[in-house]
Amino acid sequence: MEQVHIDFRDQISRNKRNSFFLMFVVVCVLVLFGYVISLAFEPGFFFIIMIIAIVFSLSYTLLSYYNSDKIAVASVRAKNASRAEHGDFYRLVEGLTIASGMPMPTLYVMPSEQINAFASGRDPQHAVICVTKGALEKLDRRELEGVLAHELSHVANYDIRYITLVTVMVGMVAIISELFLRSLWFSSGDGDSKNPIFIFIGIALAILAPIVVQLVQLAISRKREYVADATAVKYTRNPSGLIKALEKIKVDVVKPEKKISKAVAPLFFANPFKGMASTHPPLDKRIEILKRM
Amino acid sequence: MLLWLWILIIVAVLIGGALFYYFNRFALLGNRIDNSLSQIDVQLKRRADLIPNLIETVKGFAKHEKEAIKAVTDARKALVGAKDIEGKIKADKGLEGALGRLFAIAEGYPDLKANTNFLELQRELTSTEDKVAYSRQFYNDSILSYNNLCKTFPGIMFAGLYGKKEREYLQLVEAEKKVVKVSFD
Repeated sequence: MEQVHIDFRDQISRNKRNSFFLMFVVVCVLVLFGYVISLAFEPGFFFIIMIIAIVFSLSYTLLSYYNSDKIAVASVRAKNASRAEHGDFYRLVEGLTIASGMPMPTLYVMPSEQINAFASGRDPQHAVICVTKGALEKLDRRELEGVLAHELSHVANYDIRYITLVTVMVGMVAIISELFLRSLWFSSGDGDSKNPIFIFIGIALAILAPIVVQLVQLAISRKREYVADATAVKYTRNPSGLIKALEKIKVDVVKPEKKISKAVAPLFFANPFKGMASTHPPLDKRIEILKRM
Repeated sequence: MLLWLWILIIVAVLIGGALFYYFNRFALLGNRIDNSLSQIDVQLKRRADLIPNLIETVKGFAKHEKEAIKAVTDARKALVGAKDIEGKIKADKGLEGALGRLFAIAEGYPDLKANTNFLELQRELTSTEDKVAYSRQFYNDSILSYNNLCKTFPGIMFAGLYGKKEREYLQLVEAEKKVVKVSFD
């Protein structure tokens, strides 16, 4: 039985602290990578490679921090929602921003038949909320409102900052370890300047890093989903909308989404790949907790 | 001797910091209450502003439903004329009822029901109803955080110091929470 303790202010400061810590760790990991790579391949270019590694990791971290919302939206091919076309979507979010006292986020719609939604951005002033076309079509007003309230809670609790950062970092660590492993493969056999110990360390790091990051990614989401469900009910004072939305998702039959990259999965309202090692708590469990409210 | 001096300095800094923190906290939460009160007003006004348009549209299709139309117009007048927030909310309740009846009548006019302008206004009005409710909810939530600060330790000490008192909640009639259902499906 997972205990769900909910103190919103705690959650917010924890998220802010973790976000900062995460960025710090990632910069360190990247610099370490650069160090190992430079020693493994070309000890002579040690300083140049290190400078490149530091500049690259700092700029990547800062860029992804300031553009996380745009990256997430672009990666699922979402389009800006227009007020004329998606009036209800706008009106519901407006109502919820009044209920929560938050600034209005930017709204997006993504082309997918699934019932799903996500929020992203670095803080409530720079937040986006994106829903699938399927959610707009299949959910009624109250259900959609529940889903949107859940997403707005992620914004309010600063989950978006943390989850988006993790997401971007996961991608980066994966790319770099891949690059390193491949470069080893292609350059094998030429010269003897390479230090076998550092190559070994490099390989170990390259294999382990993505696994560790994956574990971190899995651990972050579950509790946050319960908290966001509870916060959503605090906004709408109406658990039944959210419950019905979750029940609809449960029986909704659509193909698992291929266009969504695994990296952005934790951002979503419900797991976009049904049955996969889940970044989300089971729907039944969420429904059960909501029914007790 | 030096040790005592240090302790004195630390205590002074702590007290100063707490004074500062609680002063800001009271100011911030107090502002939030005032803000959310004006938000209720904004939403009620928006609602009133939508009515004339709606009446025009309805008249185009259902001219002889004079009674229902008049009820809505009168309720709007009462809302615009109300002086304080309690009066406005009460008038808004009357408007809600009148609108509910008008929308029910509209069900009998297929042309009206299919009119995009009418549909848009109907949706807009339903959503302002939500927004009025939400702004009141947020107002009461804001008062709750303010009062919690006033009532709990250590805030209670500073509340006395700065002369801050608990604020009054907006009185909600329980029945009000059940929104008149305007169904358009």
